[in-house]
Amino acid sequence: MHILSESVEALVEQLTKLPTIGRKTAQRLAAYILKMPREEVVEIARALVAVKDRVVYCSVCFNVTDTDPCPICRSPRRDHSVICVVEEPNDVLALERTNEYRGVYHVLGGVISPLDGVGPEDLHIRELVARLNPEATPPGGDGQVAEAGASYPDGPRPAVQEVILAMNPNVEGDTTAYYISQLLKPFGIRVSRIARGLPIGGDLEYADEATLSRALEGRMTL
Amino acid sequence: MILHHLRLTAFRAHAETQVSFAPKVNLVYGPNGAGKTNILEAIHYLCLSKSFLASQDGYALRRGAPYFELEGRFEGDRRSDLRVRLAYVPEQGKRILVNGAPLERLSEIVSMLPIVVFSPADHAITAEGPEERRRFLDNILSQARPVYLDDLLKYRRALRQRNELLSQYRGRPLRPEQEAALQSWEAELVLLGTRVIRRRLRFIDTFTRYLEDAYARFERVAEQPTMTYNGIAPLDLDADEEAIAEAFRRQLARVARRERERGRTLVGPHRDDLVFRLNGMEVRRYASQGQHRTFGMALKLAQCFYLHDRLEERPMLLLDDVFGHFDDERRAGFLDLLQSEAVGQSIITDTRLRPFAGVIPFDRPEHRAIPVGRGADRAIVSVETAVEPE
Ligand SMILES: [Zn+2]
Repeated sequence: MHILSESVEALVEQLTKLPTIGRKTAQRLAAYILKMPREEVVEIARALVAVKDRVVYCSVCFNVTDTDPCPICRSPRRDHSVICVVEEPNDVLALERTNEYRGVYHVLGGVISPLDGVGPEDLHIRELVARLNPEATPPGGDGQVAEAGASYPDGPRPAVQEVILAMNPNVEGDTTAYYISQLLKPFGIRVSRIARGLPIGGDLEYADEATLSRALEGRMTL
Repeated sequence: MILHHLRLTAFRAHAETQVSFAPKVNLVYGPNGAGKTNILEAIHYLCLSKSFLASQDGYALRRGAPYFELEGRFEGDRRSDLRVRLAYVPEQGKRILVNGAPLERLSEIVSMLPIVVFSPADHAITAEGPEERRRFLDNILSQARPVYLDDLLKYRRALRQRNELLSQYRGRPLRPEQEAALQSWEAELVLLGTRVIRRRLRFIDTFTRYLEDAYARFERVAEQPTMTYNGIAPLDLDADEEAIAEAFRRQLARVARRERERGRTLVGPHRDDLVFRLNGMEVRRYASQGQHRTFGMALKLAQCFYLHDRLEERPMLLLDDVFGHFDDERRAGFLDLLQSEAVGQSIITDTRLRPFAGVIPFDRPEHRAIPVGRGADRAIVSVETAVEPE
């Protein structure tokens, strides 16, 4: 095939690096970008770079943020005695949209999955333990993590009383929840597991049969 | 359940084939290599999302075609029409649409359209290794209970994860957090494996009665068929989850050292077996060829009646070239059964019309004989019309 424009071809190639973007979609996007006003294209390009330059991970909860600590961790209106543990920053967004949860978060950055080469040490699990007990050295800790707790802006932090494990209800999510629940046992705090598979408060008809049967059998007590 | 119409596009020998079926007995007959078995395979794909031949999806793609597509129009005993489409594209995999809506997971189709396959390969269920018997067991249970298939798939996933970890840690001393990770995978494995085993035990308890009934239809000599679960430990058929989990954990502890050396999981439902016996004698070791055949047929017929009771839906029977092994008396008996109300629609493949023509009135609208031939491109050429018996 004859390449008409090397620049267009380069753009298509870059776009296909994004998830769910195949070659065809990339070509469509490239054609669209070609027709856009220059300023709008510059805005997109700036936003892309800004994401990398300005966005950091919150040193307390590891959510993405422009300021460290993040607004949720700094907020005096949130209940800092309850931590909801999630897999990814997107899960925080989903939970925030429900407007139901008033506690704070801890983002693991994934789940334990040997097949993907992810072990507990690759996730922010030690930092979670450090948030529960800043003085104690976490299991296998090397001192560096205890500092993670030092980022609270205003005085001493309230003691954590409850940890909610909100990993996805699949094999890896369940195993990660089990791993963390075992790790937190010595702290004697309340640890619960919520199933994200079943929509809370309705829409049961959209849940598949297996999920429903599972819910009927009753589980998720740790 | 009835399949009214089937379309195959770029599927094995078929460039584009359409077949209409009658509600009871259908005979697809013609020379070898005309693609008769492919028709049954296509139906199997639509009902269970995969082939009954142990082969990869790519092999089912007609040479040079970019994708294959299958479409079936089904009518359930309980539900209204179901139009199922399955498309396979290399690299992208399979996709199933039911009445135009895509399924999120392929496994959702299993149990919607129950089927039972009779084939010469059934011999392996009673004659060969445990894997064949597990496959048989998992097939029935998955069709009967979607939650079983869900647990089984999750168990397999947890097993792969744990095996990966065991192989990574193979022969090395573990740090505390690695030890804890291994324990977490063990807990998940036990949780899911226990559910799988519990449902298998309950199933065997119920299924034995179906097996006895089905066997008695084929064999006038009073022989008593039985089946037992040969698993992680001797367990009562009504054992509760805690008892099973405890036994599973004990076995894992017993082999823990060997698992660390070999780097994989050595006990669990993925290694369990079923033992079939006739009058107390193990079929695998002591049965004659005839007994193997009868036992295999009885298992499949029992599967049919079990699924019917469980799903309140008569499964479709696919009989792939199985009548050649029957004597006249058995063939007549079995064909009588297929015409009776006890079973639903059946689709038979055979090279010949003659042995069936005298027994099944193909001139009636509920039955149909469908001749197939080799066209210029080896695909089926004639499919639409019912033929008069010879
Ligand atoms: Zn934060």
